[in-house]
Amino acid sequence: MRKYILYLCITVQALFASCIREDISGNTPESNFESLWKIIDEQYCFLEYKHEEYGLDWDEVHTRYAQRITSDMTWENLYEVLSDMVNELRDGHVNLSSSIGTSQYRAWFDAFPHNFSDSIQSNYLGKDYVNSSGITWSILENNIGYIYCESFSNGIGDGNLDQTLNSLAVCDGLIVDVRDNGGGNLTTAQKLAARFTNERVLVGYMYHKTGPAHDDFSDPKPVYIEPSDGIRWQKPVVVLTNRRAYSATNDFVNSMNQFPNVTLVGDKTGGGSGLPFSSEIPCGWSIRFSASPMLDPEMNHLEFGIDPDVKVDMTSEDIAQGKDTMIETACRVLKGQ
Amino acid sequence: MKTLIYIEHRDTKTLRIKNKASVPLRLCVFILIVLTCLPTRIQAQDSLQATRHVMRSVMIGAGHNNTFETYLSPLEYEGPEVRFAYETMRMTRLMDGNVSAQNLFQLHASYTENISQTNHTYGGLVNWNYALHYQFRPAKGLKILFGPMLDLNAGVVYNRRNSNNPAQAKAYGGLGASGMLIYRFRIKNYPLTVRWQANLPLLGVMFSPEFGESYYEIFSLGNGGRNVVFTSLHNNPSLRQLLTLDFPVGNTVMRVGYVCDLQQAKVNNLKSHTYSHDFMIGVVRNLYLFHGKKHMTTPPKITPF
Repeated sequence: MRKYILYLCITVQALFASCIREDISGNTPESNFESLWKIIDEQYCFLEYKHEEYGLDWDEVHTRYAQRITSDMTWENLYEVLSDMVNELRDGHVNLSSSIGTSQYRAWFDAFPHNFSDSIQSNYLGKDYVNSSGITWSILENNIGYIYCESFSNGIGDGNLDQTLNSLAVCDGLIVDVRDNGGGNLTTAQKLAARFTNERVLVGYMYHKTGPAHDDFSDPKPVYIEPSDGIRWQKPVVVLTNRRAYSATNDFVNSMNQFPNVTLVGDKTGGGSGLPFSSEIPCGWSIRFSASPMLDPEMNHLEFGIDPDVKVDMTSEDIAQGKDTMIETACRVLKGQ
Repeated sequence: MKTLIYIEHRDTKTLRIKNKASVPLRLCVFILIVLTCLPTRIQAQDSLQATRHVMRSVMIGAGHNNTFETYLSPLEYEGPEVRFAYETMRMTRLMDGNVSAQNLFQLHASYTENISQTNHTYGGLVNWNYALHYQFRPAKGLKILFGPMLDLNAGVVYNRRNSNNPAQAKAYGGLGASGMLIYRFRIKNYPLTVRWQANLPLLGVMFSPEFGESYYEIFSLGNGGRNVVFTSLHNNPSLRQLLTLDFPVGNTVMRVGYVCDLQQAKVNNLKSHTYSHDFMIGVVRNLYLFHGKKHMTTPPKITPF
């Protein structure tokens, strides 16, 4: 009997010796810096891709930024240094959130023309536009339907989409404007895209990290858009894009780009093809980062945006006249001019 | 069969009492009637009796929880926890009636906070253990129980501010070993029962997303992966311990206890643990079950526990 009790005690001791915990020590500037660097090092999904694209070397980033960390620095200084560090990733999905502020890499849209003005847009919407479950629609003077989707953050109802497309059925073509749509739910974006195909279409691939090493990835798995059971649009479509079409909107544009009756008009999208995850560092600041890349059907990365079929910027002359160059171009494309 | 011997023993004793002429005649007649009319029935019920004695207990408690899920955060979260435990135990016919069966159902919920007090998680787990224990009786008042155990768990840890990884589902189970020490003793004629139990999972399976895999990929796109993994001591070193003390208060048997529930896993390069320490209080009922849903309360000394 003593033997059994001895075995039991040994087992219990072995269990306590094998505690599964994380090695995070303290809440110093150094430990917060190391923790943040490690989260990105192990979980961020574009380190290899961005090394190839613009020479990002995350180990070199550690060396460079470690020199800016001191034990007596203020929280504000630490936030600034850490924000600068994660901005090296050039990713709008990477945000360090604290009580001081939320860091954001903005060059993906700040360095380019805005290409959208809601006051000019109102000239086209007129006074008879309809707001319906997150989308705004109207029929333009030249019998072109116009849908503006400001965000995919909130769901779009199937009934609303049926009603909207039914009302626009008399139009010669349709503009789906996703400019300034910063994203939201992928499922909402895919639900809208499902209204524009009559068959199951491969729209890309998605994969994820399987371990902490930079090249620990799963096999890319195909992503399909299934046609909606509701009313589906059968006429030509133009999707209007600008640099602020980002994240789930980037995914929507990619899906639409695989359909034969769709033309992309406007500026390159902002990208943001990594599904973001969240984590945190010892001081409680939250870090959001890209975790799962999405590819197009040719296995190309979409992280830095999707080029339009017809590149056009809003001209200053048109803006002065209250005209939206991109909507005008879209109408010409749909009219076949 | 044991009960029959007991009856015969009482019979001898009764006859001895009768010889002393200290028992009313009608009692003797009653005993004789019982002995002549019921032996067949007693024999028929005899094999059922031992397995129909059931110990049931219900406990509620509260304590401390430490939750750690690297899928959600590299930080440990700590906070209060509440727990409910329901236990039944009865003898079986296995191995000459020396094996008892224990059902132990537990449910706990926690609300925990990170070290910098900037975020919270909600956690909850339902656990069911079914164990078959061989009962050794090495000394008077002492029982040592040991045997196999089925362990099933389902729950969730929800992080309030995460984006596409807001929660981690917990679903795992398997086979393990369970051991128990039960010691009955008295302090100044006041009966007490103390029990220590340890349940150790040894082999099983566990659901887990892969390291950076989102639930969107698993469930919305149907693109799984290595989401069911085999577990053993090397990647799931966990242990549930239960220490209880039973004591009568009037006609009720009260139970106080301490639960030390250590659940750990390291699968798909994801680490997790839930350390719970809860103090429990509840009641124990010793019952004799009849056919159907009827039952009868029995004295505390008649128990498979």
